[in-house]
Amino acid sequence: MNISILKKIWILAAVVLSLMASIWIALTYYNQQTQEQYNDILQRYIRMNEASIASKELISSLNNYLHSPEPAQKEVLGTSKQKVREAKYEVYKLRNTDNDFELSNYINLMDSLTETVDRTLLLQAEKDTEEAGKTFAEATRISMYISEMTLTLIDKELNTYYPFYQGIMEKSEALKRLGLWLLLLITFLLIMFTYWFSLSITRPLLSLSRAAKELSRGRFDLKIEVQSSDEISFLAKMFERMRVNINNLIMEIQEKAQLEKELQDNKLLLQESQLRSLQSQINPHFLFNTLDTISKKAYLEGSEETSDLLVNVAGLLRYNLKRLNRSVTLYEEVRVLHQYVEIQKARFSERLQFHSEIDESCLHIQVPGLTLQPIIENAVIHAVEPREEGGVILFAIRDETDHVCVVFKDDGPGIPEHIVYSILNEQDVEFSGHSTGIGFSNVVQRLRLFYHVPNVIQIESISGVGTKVILNLPKIRSSENDVQSTDRG
Amino acid sequence: MRKTAVVMCSIAGLILCFFTSLSVGRMYEAGSAMPAELQEEQVKYRLVLVTQELNTPFWDKVGETAVEEAAKNNVSLQVWGSYGSNEDDFLKKMEIAIASKVDGIIVQGLDTAEFKELTKIQAGRSGIPVITVASDVPMKDSLRRTYVGTDHTAAGRMVAKELISKLGTKGTVILIGGSRQQYDQDQRLKGIQEVLQQYPELVTVYAETSDEREKVISSAREMMNKYPNADAFVAVNTHITDALVNAVGKRYQSGKYLIYSFDDSPETRFLLERGELDGMIKQSPEEIGQISVNLMVSWLDGKTVPLDMNGYYTDITMIKAKNRP
Repeated sequence: MNISILKKIWILAAVVLSLMASIWIALTYYNQQTQEQYNDILQRYIRMNEASIASKELISSLNNYLHSPEPAQKEVLGTSKQKVREAKYEVYKLRNTDNDFELSNYINLMDSLTETVDRTLLLQAEKDTEEAGKTFAEATRISMYISEMTLTLIDKELNTYYPFYQGIMEKSEALKRLGLWLLLLITFLLIMFTYWFSLSITRPLLSLSRAAKELSRGRFDLKIEVQSSDEISFLAKMFERMRVNINNLIMEIQEKAQLEKELQDNKLLLQESQLRSLQSQINPHFLFNTLDTISKKAYLEGSEETSDLLVNVAGLLRYNLKRLNRSVTLYEEVRVLHQYVEIQKARFSERLQFHSEIDESCLHIQVPGLTLQPIIENAVIHAVEPREEGGVILFAIRDETDHVCVVFKDDGPGIPEHIVYSILNEQDVEFSGHSTGIGFSNVVQRLRLFYHVPNVIQIESISGVGTKVILNLPKIRSSENDVQSTDRG
Repeated sequence: MRKTAVVMCSIAGLILCFFTSLSVGRMYEAGSAMPAELQEEQVKYRLVLVTQELNTPFWDKVGETAVEEAAKNNVSLQVWGSYGSNEDDFLKKMEIAIASKVDGIIVQGLDTAEFKELTKIQAGRSGIPVITVASDVPMKDSLRRTYVGTDHTAAGRMVAKELISKLGTKGTVILIGGSRQQYDQDQRLKGIQEVLQQYPELVTVYAETSDEREKVISSAREMMNKYPNADAFVAVNTHITDALVNAVGKRYQSGKYLIYSFDDSPETRFLLERGELDGMIKQSPEEIGQISVNLMVSWLDGKTVPLDMNGYYTDITMIKAKNRP
């Protein structure tokens, strides 16, 4: 049901009001009824009494008339008679099953009285004073009987209505008890209703305030749910929308911060690399010139091999200095790699066996500078250098439709698992003897930053069998790659 | 927890509802209805039974059966009267009854001029039929329609016969009469005399006193002094038996005299049981009540016109003392 708080209050007020009104009406009705009944009974007494008084008046006026027969007195007598007649009709209405007999007698007594009075008047008119006096005495007696009968009747009425009075008393007692029960019931119902009513308001408020507390603690991911159908649910809905909005804004800010941090990291790494390379190459031009001179001299002296070697070393050095802070093509990287391998071959001669399978069509893609060389160097250091019998290093570049797969494989002792884990998580692992001073983890870091792909590098290492490093380089480099996948704390 | 609270609350609510509705019902039930208003005549006739001796077993019985009979005939009847033979009160009641224009008056006859005047003139003027019961007043004096009750002459005869059977045909019998109910008394005397006249050897002496106890006692003593060889006393008037027995019993050992009474009252019956009385006439109050009402109703209905002027006599029996020799 959809009841607003306003409606609820109205309903409560209406219920209370109608209850009170109905009780009031019932009480008033009952009261009025009782009063009418009382009045009826009282009226009966009054009417009977009136009849008695009227008969007495008649006698008194008759007496007056007998003593002084004047027209004025006759008139008075007439009105008295009329009164008695009226009283008789009034009394006639009072008949009920209980007093039928007495009341009939009573009415007849009044009739007899009027008759006797008439007879007296007649006798008086005929000047029969003695008889008139007798009938007057009779009339007086009848009037007395009427008075007595009135008392008897009232007595009878009292008897008849006594149970009725008792009934009224009983009824009012019962009403009192009913009032008490009604009061209890209404109190109970109102308490129940008020409880339900206040609960229906406070419960949603409570859950809303709880939700607000959660929000204030910074938990924006809890859904706000309020089971209600009034204004509070509207408030809760608005609150929920606000929460979602705030949550989205916070996400955005977090992403931005992430991006900024990555940028910062990138810069720092570059600076570090540059610093390292500067440390190792104090005077590059002097070194290049010297190496060129030595190369030429070796060539002139007929030592072509030495000359080539020196050219390679010089090229490698130059590349190192130049290409570190920008992307290069895979082709250039592969060339530098070959120069490095040539140098290492001169060093290890037969101990280093290097095989390469290169798909030439893939060499145009962009890669960060100096990424392949540190890896092959790592292989040389760990798989060839420590072993007397030397090692085999396999280098392959394959086209895998949407990316290029670069594989380094050696048959060295393998890399322990925790170190592989460290490398992949870009923690610095100290390797000795790197020519460029750039470590494996540095490469991993830069590759990931460059491509924004977490699985850009895979390391499979089996102890005693060899290590296989696979780089999956996407052909299309997208800086807008899924940002959220780089979830780093 | 919550569930139990809900259950408790609903139980409490139901209990309250129950008691409230109970008291509503009680309130409606309480009180008795007003007597129904009457629009038309409820009964055919209004009859009044007037007696001088309310609250005596005899008249109570008459009244009771009369009311019963009236209810059977669907007429209403009220028993009015005076206590302790208060004549003025009795006559007033009669006058009220006549002035009230009741349909019929059943009355214990009173042998006084006022009573006769009332029944003859006033009741006659209003056309109210009067039936006398138990005690009669002559028809020519009272214009009563009929009489229902004991045939007092027959009662007198019965007592006289009983006396003879006990006393034989020889002896002295003292008859003591009161001042009231002269007509009844005369009837009884007539009955007694009728029987005793046949036995010349039986001497009857009649004495009359007023009703006061002292007077009765003194006249009884006087008679005993006058006729020391008297054999039997008969209380011809109903009201003097007690005093007579008292007077006789004080003077002599009980058993010397035969004492008879026409009174049918508890006191007399008590004396009979004690053996101080030899016999009494028992009347039939039930019959009187029943027959009088029936006659009145049938007369008013016009079924039995005219009524038997001599009256309708009810049963009488002689009750004799058992432990008297």
